[in-house]
Amino acid sequence: MKPLKLRDRFLSAGSHYIDVAIRIPLRIERRLEVPASVSLAMTVVFLALALLFAAFLMQALGIDAMSVLHQIATVFTTRELLTAAFLRSVPIGLAAVGLTVSFRANFWNIGAEGQMFMGMFASTGIVLLHAYYGLIPGWALLPAMAAASFVAGGLYCALSGVLRSKLGVNEVLTTLMMNFIAILFVDYLVYGPWRDPRGYGFPLSIPFPPEARFGGLMGEAYEGLALLAVLAVLTHLLMTRTTFGVDVKVVGENPYIAGIAGVRIPRTYFLVNLISGGLAGLAGFFLLSGIIGRLRPRASPGYGYTAIIIAFLAGLHPILAIPAAVFMGGLIVAGDVLQATLNLPFAAVQLLQSTIFVMIVVAEFVKRYRIIWRW
Amino acid sequence: MELSWIEGVLALTVQFGTVYLLASLGEIYAERSGILNLGMEGMMIVGAAIAFVFTNALGHLLSLVSVVLIGALMGLLLAFLVVTLRLNQVVVGLALTLFGYGLSGLLTQPAIRARIMRALNPEVPEVRIVTQQAEALRAVKVPVLSDIPVVGPVLFSQNALVYFALIAAVVMWFVLFRTSIGLAIRSVGENPSMADSLGINVFRIRYVTSVIAGVMGALAGAYLFIGYQPFWVEMMTNGRGFIALALVILASWSPIRAVFGSLLFGGVEVIQFRLQLFGFAAQTPQFVLMLPYVVAIVTLTVLSVESVRKRLGVPEALGKPYYRE
Repeated sequence: MKPLKLRDRFLSAGSHYIDVAIRIPLRIERRLEVPASVSLAMTVVFLALALLFAAFLMQALGIDAMSVLHQIATVFTTRELLTAAFLRSVPIGLAAVGLTVSFRANFWNIGAEGQMFMGMFASTGIVLLHAYYGLIPGWALLPAMAAASFVAGGLYCALSGVLRSKLGVNEVLTTLMMNFIAILFVDYLVYGPWRDPRGYGFPLSIPFPPEARFGGLMGEAYEGLALLAVLAVLTHLLMTRTTFGVDVKVVGENPYIAGIAGVRIPRTYFLVNLISGGLAGLAGFFLLSGIIGRLRPRASPGYGYTAIIIAFLAGLHPILAIPAAVFMGGLIVAGDVLQATLNLPFAAVQLLQSTIFVMIVVAEFVKRYRIIWRW
Repeated sequence: MELSWIEGVLALTVQFGTVYLLASLGEIYAERSGILNLGMEGMMIVGAAIAFVFTNALGHLLSLVSVVLIGALMGLLLAFLVVTLRLNQVVVGLALTLFGYGLSGLLTQPAIRARIMRALNPEVPEVRIVTQQAEALRAVKVPVLSDIPVVGPVLFSQNALVYFALIAAVVMWFVLFRTSIGLAIRSVGENPSMADSLGINVFRIRYVTSVIAGVMGALAGAYLFIGYQPFWVEMMTNGRGFIALALVILASWSPIRAVFGSLLFGGVEVIQFRLQLFGFAAQTPQFVLMLPYVVAIVTLTVLSVESVRKRLGVPEALGKPYYRE
């Protein structure tokens, strides 16, 4: 057999078994199954690499990277900041749990951001119905807001889903475009008809009444975290213990086979969209009801995109999305603090997040292979 | 009088369309070879940021050279991730876009910007450091041709990047459909293993096309800034990189048709602008601002109807990594 060069090893990495032991004393094999320990270890290693790379880049731009990293560590060791991180992790975590479902169905929903805004629209609508027309009693306000935001987000996502399953329109582009449309729609509402008449002309809705605020019992962060945990576990059970979960898996892996096996594909897609967009809508509800307390333009600074990163960081596992969300929530809080102390723009957090994103995806690649040294 | 108003609208349409044209030309090459580059938006915003910072420090020419280099680097990064590591193209593209947003925000942050500019050019005056603007590219009138009524002011009194984009469209069309290199690119996008067995280096072709996509994307961003609106706003690309992706489908992956597609989307932006100028929806311009995105979705939907889709000819291997067996 002719000796292979290093380059050939890379080019042929798709086959299951590549022998390069002739020249270099190592062998790369493709794993059939990735053990959980390896998966976790790789994720941690590549997270560290991402932080290192981002720190290096920041240092090159003249930012004191050590103080950035130190601030991140401080967030996870200080009680108040950790609570703030928990609070931030709820909306991004909710949206991420939804995304794990749609990504497993191979439906590339990039529209969590827009679906969050639709959720904000729906929950504010309910609050206004209560405040102006007295249509909804105070005790029913929170459930009504949650339900409305779930439906609004879900249907908004299903719009792209229907376009895809009926006409084959690429959902990546439609969900993306619909983000911009939803953001502008909410802009219209707060600058126009929903502007607070007593708000001195600021583009804000009326402040939510106490009955519409989440977290009256033990604080919004912990109640929110509880909500996130319950929904994540429910989603996990849905995906592992029901026929729907199996349908999603099959449709995601091979829609053709799914069709032969009798899976009702459009219905599965619709439900996937409803759950995925619905949870993003709920995230929008929590953002207003639990954190901000009123509708304002651009209320989400890209949390819908952060949710995508979290979904991948969690390996598309709904329950693992919780720690991943707390980690990202911590980064956001660290970013807020840095903005105040070091005058760093939000972009620093964005840079960090996207570096993590790339590294996590690279880790997914590396996990699939095993390196064996032979001397 | 009436004529000059039309001329004004048309000239603006060409100016705005150029943003889309540059981006979609790059994207067409990437997609023709099988790479869906969702990072176009990120490449554009980085291009715009570099154009902003470097133009103020070094002037137009050197700034454009740096834009090209940075674009090429981002293209290489894309290729490494999706061609060599074969990672999911949607995920990588999205990551590159977020990375571009972050990087552009940091590059243009006042303190960091000042440091970069001083490093590039120690003599840079303080005014240039604090300003959010930069000198725009000047319009160059093509002798003789610019005297033709209507066509002259619309097409031949623009800045250099507009001419570059139009010439690039023709050249890139020629290369893609009339040369063996173009044939190689297209075959790699249609059937990579067949192309491979015919002796075409699939990986090299895909590296080259992603670098082209990166360069053109960065130039599109640079043009958006120094060619069209020389005032820095965070995230000023505002999703136009994604609209360019829709435009590529509308142009059915042909550089010449991309010219018309970009004029359409350029026209939509101009209409949006004019409507606001006339006081239409002055209080709530949001619905008018939605126009480009709505038009893009409608376009995508119409093009997805089965009978239309058959005539389009989507590159068969688009979005699929290539494994050499």
